[in-house]
Amino acid sequence: MNRVLRSNPVREALRVAIAVAVALTLGFIVTLFVSEDPVGAYKAFLFGPVSRLNRFGDWIEESITLIFLGLAVALVFKASQFSLGQEGQMVLGALVAGAVALYVPLPGILRIPLGLLAAMVVGFLWGMLPGFLKAYVEADEIVSTLMLNVVALKIYEYLLTYKIKPPDAGYTASATFPDPGILPTFLPPLPFLAEIRQLFMQRTNISIALYLVLAAVVVVYLLMYRMPFGYELRMVGANLRFARYGGIHTRRTIMLSMAVSGIFAGLAGAHLAMGIHRKLILNITFGLGFEGIVVSLLARNNPLAVPLTGLAYGYLRAGADVMERSSDVSREMVLVIQAVIILLVTAERILPMVQRRIAARRSAPGAAQTPEPAPASGPAKGDA
Amino acid sequence: MSSPPLIEMRDIVKVYPNGVVANDGVHFTVEPGEIHALVGENGAGKTTLMKILYGLESPTQGEIRLRGRPVHFRSPLDAIAHGIGMVHQNFMLIPSFTVAENIVLGQEPRHRMLVDREAALQITRELSQQYGLRVEAEAVVDSVPVGMRQRVEILKTLYRGAEILILDEPTAVLTPQETQELFQAIRALVAQGKTVIFITHKLREVKEISDRVTVMRNGRVMGTLPTAQATTDQLARMMVGRDVLLTVEKPPAQPGEPVLEVRDLTYVSETGRTMLRDVRFTVRAGEILGVAGVEGNGQTELVEVLTGLRPATGGSARVRGREILNATPRQVRLSGVAHIPEDRLNNGLALTATINENLIVDRYFRPPFLRGLFIDSQVVQEHGVRLIQAFDIRAPGGDVPVASLSGGNMQKVIVAREFSAEPVLLIAAQPTRGIDVGATEFIRRQLVEKRSGGTAVLLISADLAEVMSLSDRLVVMYEGQITGVFPQVDRVSEEELGLYMLGLRRQTPEEMEAYL
Amino acid sequence: MSIGLVLRGIFSALFVASVLRISTPLILPALGGLISDLAGVINIALEGIMLVAAFTGVVVSAYTQNVWLGVLAGLAVGTLFSLILALFHLYLKTDIILAGIALNIMAQGGTVFLLFTLTGDKGSSASLASGTVPRVVIPLLHDVPVLGTILSGHHIFTYLAFLLAVVVAVFLYRTPLGTHLRAVGENPEAAASVGINVVRVQTIAIGLSGLLASLGGLSLSMAYLSFFQNNMTAGRGFIALAAIFLGGRTPWGTLLAAVFFGFADALANQFGSLQVPPQWVQMIPYAATVIALVVYNVRRRRQAIERARRMQEQLHAQGTAFGGGD
Repeated sequence: MNRVLRSNPVREALRVAIAVAVALTLGFIVTLFVSEDPVGAYKAFLFGPVSRLNRFGDWIEESITLIFLGLAVALVFKASQFSLGQEGQMVLGALVAGAVALYVPLPGILRIPLGLLAAMVVGFLWGMLPGFLKAYVEADEIVSTLMLNVVALKIYEYLLTYKIKPPDAGYTASATFPDPGILPTFLPPLPFLAEIRQLFMQRTNISIALYLVLAAVVVVYLLMYRMPFGYELRMVGANLRFARYGGIHTRRTIMLSMAVSGIFAGLAGAHLAMGIHRKLILNITFGLGFEGIVVSLLARNNPLAVPLTGLAYGYLRAGADVMERSSDVSREMVLVIQAVIILLVTAERILPMVQRRIAARRSAPGAAQTPEPAPASGPAKGDA
Repeated sequence: MSSPPLIEMRDIVKVYPNGVVANDGVHFTVEPGEIHALVGENGAGKTTLMKILYGLESPTQGEIRLRGRPVHFRSPLDAIAHGIGMVHQNFMLIPSFTVAENIVLGQEPRHRMLVDREAALQITRELSQQYGLRVEAEAVVDSVPVGMRQRVEILKTLYRGAEILILDEPTAVLTPQETQELFQAIRALVAQGKTVIFITHKLREVKEISDRVTVMRNGRVMGTLPTAQATTDQLARMMVGRDVLLTVEKPPAQPGEPVLEVRDLTYVSETGRTMLRDVRFTVRAGEILGVAGVEGNGQTELVEVLTGLRPATGGSARVRGREILNATPRQVRLSGVAHIPEDRLNNGLALTATINENLIVDRYFRPPFLRGLFIDSQVVQEHGVRLIQAFDIRAPGGDVPVASLSGGNMQKVIVAREFSAEPVLLIAAQPTRGIDVGATEFIRRQLVEKRSGGTAVLLISADLAEVMSLSDRLVVMYEGQITGVFPQVDRVSEEELGLYMLGLRRQTPEEMEAYL
Repeated sequence: MSIGLVLRGIFSALFVASVLRISTPLILPALGGLISDLAGVINIALEGIMLVAAFTGVVVSAYTQNVWLGVLAGLAVGTLFSLILALFHLYLKTDIILAGIALNIMAQGGTVFLLFTLTGDKGSSASLASGTVPRVVIPLLHDVPVLGTILSGHHIFTYLAFLLAVVVAVFLYRTPLGTHLRAVGENPEAAASVGINVVRVQTIAIGLSGLLASLGGLSLSMAYLSFFQNNMTAGRGFIALAAIFLGGRTPWGTLLAAVFFGFADALANQFGSLQVPPQWVQMIPYAATVIALVVYNVRRRRQAIERARRMQEQLHAQGTAFGGGD
């Protein structure tokens, strides 16, 4: 019964809203202690991203990455596979997308799709590896993906440092990509848009990744809720034994859920390389490792809610940047807020506890007792 | 006046939150120093009664007296403190610990700050010697045979000072030799003043070991009597006899071609036990073949092997001539087999998924559900509406999670899916267990209807009345083998079947040959 | 080629000493993680606990000008931080992985946030005059040529790490609490049935893992370096987890695996000084863990099959074959 209550969307939204509100309040209290101008700092935090066009751009760019990652996590968590491998898939996605952007002498119309495709393929493969190990060798995916993340990071660092970095560069980074390797701006080159397009191009890096991510949301939704693979994935996630009993190839589904999830993490990497940074740098995925989990968690692994939570979460991060630049409070405060949100959203007992309190208070005046919830441990069989 | 009994359980009622009445006004007394057998079919309420005595469950109503004084056990610790110990069917041992470590766990002998291993070994050896329960104190539990694990469990309770031992179906996991050893040990325990409550459904053992026997059925006590005065026939009747035999209207069967042919089927479990041995039978189109038997005699394995959920060790099983052993569950289903699983919550349903989703698990990948790349939600929706109506599933709609339904309606979801698959062979395992009367009636009628429509039905049920009233032919399974075949169900009495089910009688292979 | 140089480097006493030094902040959290892992509560938050302890130790020692007060505060705060994990997982039923991730994020953000608030610098606490724990010079041994270089003159945490490996082994396998802890991790139902309080034991296990991880964190900021650095654990909490798995979930195996990882790290430094890519060597611990995970699972399955076959033969030999339900 508890599960049913949990899946109630209204209750879910309420729960997330309460968690966010509590965490933001907590953040404000902290700000009160550390800042000379706490109200100013918090104002910058809460309204910063929409105060200037370049900040708005930062927000949207960041959100695009987060939404890609959130989709990757939603897919794999929906199958009850707790892959934490998005960072590795992302960094390798960035690597191959960057390599295509730098070295493949094709016009942009071909080079860009090729770079994106390469990122998708490598994400798929880097996800399939732990997926295969989980499905066929029963190797715990949490451990294997955490380890493979570092392996991927080291491959990236090695290639960047020794193969890709121009010999005369002062610090470890690739050359800036040539134009055919950079995602074009999201506004089409139409005459009546020329002026605003120019403005956006100067101030922001919002690229066609915006359309890509929206397409990805639709694709993931269709995949999960309209296609046979998604049905298999959700049944495996809901009850593995039922899926097997019903004839679903459970091992293949487990493996593919992790592989397909990698496609979207790979795209996040391509977006980082070809859209935001426009070159490969060390720590290109810095601070993004587990962000997809938060985004997906807040969306309750629902792909249609991921854009909302991704934007909201990107907003917090962008706001924190503005706060740091315009006040004496550092942006890392948002990480603490984020951690509090995760804890509050995932704590199964907190909401029921609050509800029981409220119920108790309501019925208290009449001295009526609130009945203790019946123990849920009724046996399935009478005599087992 | 004589002294009060050692244990007196009065008017015990246990109703589980899901409404199942496991004990219904049970009176149960145990005298000091006796071996008291508690017998009954699965679901009769024996284990529940003992869990109440051991403090694992609290009774809804009723009173427990120990040596004449009322007691309240809130947890097994209270029961242990009062000298009651219980050996569960699934052992409560730590596999990587040694025998001695398991015995002293929680109450380790100490030397300074450390566990005194020597003392633990010493204690184990002494207890082992004193009660004649042979164990290897230093062996790791994971590596010792099941019989020894059981002795470890018994020693565990003795180490905690148990005077009263509850053994829950202790022989279920033992070989005959091990069973004999256990019986010797039990006698030794009683000789040293202990009292033993022995749960079983094997009447042979009741006669062999117990002083008195209490028979339970449907949550009630059917009687307690000295073993010496009871005959096995009498006990069998008390155990499996039914007050009312419910009748299902059933036109005469018109068996057609053989649909399922099982030959020399053998299955050895992962832990190395032979669960099915040389099983052979045939199910024809338009008939219901019932498999009767006390639970745990290989029926579960038979069904899982036939449906592709477990690999068979040897033999063959053909559906309309096509081999289905060691095929995937999907291949089995595609050859026309539908399956109502025994464990419906774990196997038959995804509780968090909706009714509609649960109804298409065997068909989502083909038209009309699959159109091009997509599953047509319109079709799924209509399909759900149709089945909900046809199978009278009480639900607000197809989009609610199955978890919100009652047990009977959950089972109807499974039945709706499996029946609507239009199978040539329907395997139904415990199709009506634990569900309400209305749903039971409905499902039984549907089964007969299917069979009259030409489907071959393999019905596995621990409910003797059910198999007898529904089946056209009957086989009895005992210890992984078919021990009796009854081509005409109306020519055999419950008592006689009971003797086969309890292993007291069996037909020779020659006798059975003609009917398989 | 430079291989000769590398080999000479590896076999030098200084190199061995550096392995011990680099292993220290891996051994300590790995031992802690082992305790909670054996109790059935995997502690993903080791990384965050280390950061919190490292930070607290530096700050308190800087403000009190007392190294030991800093150490004590670091241990206390790190352990309390780990108990947040216990609170959320055991009492509020949060998924332990997600709670662990949350704590890591909180630690990473929180330490930098406070560092910036206190010093105005996000990179390191170099501007704070924090202390380091003293080096231990072993009187006679120190002057023995090779052994002295290897074994003497380390920070106290290094000796503590190896000592604690022994203590943890004794604790886990010889004390009543350690025994209960392993029982809870292996079969909580069975442990509860003999009166062991499962939640209490798991709380203690998480607390102890926090204590040991805190020591690891302190060894980074108050011994290995003399200041706190943004994200100075650099994944050591995760390497520690890897060491537990690679070490077969035993104290000695975990210790060995942690030292092996330390060796790989030290080797990477050696390669680095020779212009050889260190990334390949840095990758070894992680790749080795994945491989070990696979080998372990394959072997376990093969053993299960083998055991089933043996039992089957035994039963056939006895002429009886049937057993009841599994």
